[in-house]
Amino acid sequence: MQKYIWLVPLLPLIGAAINGLLGRKLRFSERLIGGIAVGSVALAFLISLTAVYSYGNAGWPKPYLTSQDGFSFSWIPGGAVSINQGGEARQQVDVQKQVEERLAAMTPEERSQTQSMLVATTETPRYSLLNIEWSYQLDPLSSIFMLIVTGVGLCIFIFATGYMHGETGFYRFFAYMGLFMFAMLVLVMGSNFLMMFVGWEGVGLCSYLLIGYYFDRQEAANASRKAFITNRVGDFGFALAIFGVIATFGSAQYTEVFEQAKSFPIEMLGHWGILSWIALGLFIGACGKSAQLPLHVWLPDAMAGPTPVSALIHAATMVTAGLYMVTRTNVIFQHSQTMLLVVALVGAATAIFAATIGITQNDIKKVLAYSTVSQLGFMFMACGVGAFAIGIFHVMTHAFFKALMFLGAGSVIHGMHHEQDMRRMGGLKKYMPYTYWTFMAGWLAICGIIPFSGFWSKDEILWKSAETTHIPLGWLVWLIGTIAATCTAFYMTRLMAMTFWGKERFLEGAGGEADEAHASAYDKGLAAHDAVQPSAGDRPRHEPGEHVGPVHEDAAHHAATHGHGDGHHGAHIPHESPPSMWVPLAVLALLAVIGGFVGIGPAFRTITGSEHPGGYLNIVTWLNPIIWNPATREFNTAEGAHEAAPAEGAHAEATAAAEGAHGAAAIYGDTGFNLAHSVENSTHSELATEWIFIVISLVVAGIGILLGMLFYVWRPELPNIWAQRLRPLYNASYNKYWVDEFYGLTVTRRTMDAARGVYRFDSKVVDGIVNGLAWLSRQVSRIVGGVDKYFVDGLVNTVAAFIARLMSPLFRAAQTGFTQNYALVMVLGLMVAVAAFYGKDIAIAVASAVRNITGTVF
Amino acid sequence: MLNFFSPTLALLFQEAERSRLGEMIYQTRTAAANPDLSKFLVIGALLFIIGVAGVLTRRNIIVIFMSIELILNAANLNFIAFSRYLSQTGSPNALAGQIFAVFVIVVAAAEAAIGLGIVIALYRNKETIWVDEIDLLKW
Repeated sequence: MQKYIWLVPLLPLIGAAINGLLGRKLRFSERLIGGIAVGSVALAFLISLTAVYSYGNAGWPKPYLTSQDGFSFSWIPGGAVSINQGGEARQQVDVQKQVEERLAAMTPEERSQTQSMLVATTETPRYSLLNIEWSYQLDPLSSIFMLIVTGVGLCIFIFATGYMHGETGFYRFFAYMGLFMFAMLVLVMGSNFLMMFVGWEGVGLCSYLLIGYYFDRQEAANASRKAFITNRVGDFGFALAIFGVIATFGSAQYTEVFEQAKSFPIEMLGHWGILSWIALGLFIGACGKSAQLPLHVWLPDAMAGPTPVSALIHAATMVTAGLYMVTRTNVIFQHSQTMLLVVALVGAATAIFAATIGITQNDIKKVLAYSTVSQLGFMFMACGVGAFAIGIFHVMTHAFFKALMFLGAGSVIHGMHHEQDMRRMGGLKKYMPYTYWTFMAGWLAICGIIPFSGFWSKDEILWKSAETTHIPLGWLVWLIGTIAATCTAFYMTRLMAMTFWGKERFLEGAGGEADEAHASAYDKGLAAHDAVQPSAGDRPRHEPGEHVGPVHEDAAHHAATHGHGDGHHGAHIPHESPPSMWVPLAVLALLAVIGGFVGIGPAFRTITGSEHPGGYLNIVTWLNPIIWNPATREFNTAEGAHEAAPAEGAHAEATAAAEGAHGAAAIYGDTGFNLAHSVENSTHSELATEWIFIVISLVVAGIGILLGMLFYVWRPELPNIWAQRLRPLYNASYNKYWVDEFYGLTVTRRTMDAARGVYRFDSKVVDGIVNGLAWLSRQVSRIVGGVDKYFVDGLVNTVAAFIARLMSPLFRAAQTGFTQNYALVMVLGLMVAVAAFYGKDIAIAVASAVRNITGTVF
Repeated sequence: MLNFFSPTLALLFQEAERSRLGEMIYQTRTAAANPDLSKFLVIGALLFIIGVAGVLTRRNIIVIFMSIELILNAANLNFIAFSRYLSQTGSPNALAGQIFAVFVIVVAAAEAAIGLGIVIALYRNKETIWVDEIDLLKW
């Protein structure tokens, strides 16, 4: 089945093409559009599943490229490129090899004599034949992403057929979604950087299109532009990094690049070698796509799109593309200690930053959006501390529970008739039981309660941060992560409490601030996307008495649920969503509960009997072959050789790394205070240390949940009191630390100013020059015209008139009109003619006649 | 037209080119045979010139007509003279000149009839027969 994986991206593309190109023209029914979209994705999912299954049986752990089976074509035949970067590093590698080889072959005497031969030769430029092919790669990493994208995507597609019911652009929605699936699959399945870039841009485009799905709303249009422009910043870094890769390795194919990169020397903290620069560019790209500080601003606004879009693109798949990229290029990142530290710190900062904002938001989708940003921060933390497999593990569990919660939120919004403000909800447990219970699973998972999926990945991330030897400041990352985890538990509990528990507030207006802001945003038609102006639902611009939303078109369903006499916006009795919506929720809930068992950590080895139970089905073992090991300077082998214990103990380098994770210490130098090791030194047991950290993470999750319960269930008056007491902090969080305002002031306004300046320059100077030249030519032509008209024409006319006046009397005089004059002229002419022809004869004849007359006769 | 003159001129020229002895032989031979053609021709030429002068100078249209008749008659005279001359040399076409002259007289009569009709019409319109008062051809 592996050789059919090229069908996986193609099928959604075909579905999207049919829906997008024919859906409107042929007036497809919703059933047909949904069938095409869901069917294509389901087929892609099945193919992925069987392909990954057969890959696990046969191909793993070696990457499988479709070019092996003939599916590949030369996409960009680049020709010869000079490899003009990274020469220094490469030279070190070459020289080192040379030294080793020669020294091994020599006797001691020769060795001393030939020292001079080992001096580095001068650098000569190297060339490579660049040929970028279009082929797909199936390896541990891409297989996981394929399954996440198609599997979670399938759930969301099914959900969307229910959620989007009755929308005018139904075909358009599914065309975009299918196109997104194609782009995302190209991103994760491509076998080279250029294909990743194509997918990268493709998902960016689809994200733009889908955020702006309700393009008639200013808020959505602005959000889509914001997302696109912010991503451009990241894409710029990514593009530079790709150039760097090609200039350094002469290829864009992953296998070739990583094969070369793995022997490059490691660049220590503060040393900016070529790999650090490439990693920086890649990370900027990852920041843009995965909404890390400082490029996170677009993701919360992206919630203006339909909720299935938020679930698929802005929670489960697209935003994890940055993680995919960092993990894919972990060889490069691990070569740069600086960038690892940067990744970890940015991840940690984003995690705490977004988590604190999430506490005060009132829009249900906003809370989830900031939660997503925060969780992405966790994933980058994992990558930064060198635990790439754990980062991907968290990507997977997060895809399950966050897609679940987004879809749950979509179900709530649907049931609440497009109300997103949590202050107008409450007590929904009674009305939406399926949504409630599935959401509960997501809540427990994200809070990190054992044994739900979020626990396994989040706990591993925190543990790896504490014990990392890749970077200094691991303890700080751990501390921030732990605090962020507490915040996460707190705001998710708050979300649960405000939405599903407590008093039913949907029949009354939220009152006060919310209603005023709502009304003013509603009146002005302004963006209602931020917390200052709480959202008025997916589509706020409808008449007060008008019924909007999918359900309203469904009259029968409607009447069965409740009457609509009052018609007041937001004052509806909520209802449970149709099966097409809650069945995907149930599937995802199941995954959110059990999904974590593929990555049970080493701390449970006494129970499970293995560090990574499940053989190669354990996600860490599964991913091992694509993770570069700095200790052995090779990719990990299949035989469970994760970074802790290389199997080939006999090897000299491997023994150096044999003391488990501590092995990396030698490679990355002294990384200062290490929390895990300090604890271990006092407990004298690695297992006990791990358990201490597990207990800590469970305790902080419990504290967060209990605080949330205290604030929003048991003592509902507390939030206001504490908001007053911590007013500055509350305002900062409520206003999202004014990042948007700061960017508006420093970037957006300045850009607009610059644009206006350029416009002014264009309209005044450039246009002025052009207009001036035009004016000048008009003046010149006027002068030339005058000269022509008055001088040249005048001269001609004067001469003509002069000649006419001079000559006409002569000719006129000849025309007397008297017949006799003409006859005279004829006679004269005759005489002249005769004279001309016979003049001489006549003269002689006359002479002879005269002589005859006088001389002879008479 | 010019070719029409050439036999005459050639004849004159032929006479002029004679040597004295030849001239004398020629003269004695042609004096008997040729009743002095040149004298007719001279008379004809004079009549022609008088006619042309009349046409060109006279203002009375009737007189102009008469002058035209003079010209025609000058031509007739030539025809007759050559006819006679040729008959004496035994040419088979000798009578052509006389016939031609008859034609000319007929044409002249017709011409006179038409011409006088024009004159009368002209006089009725213009009340004059003086040609210098008739300048309709003027631009």
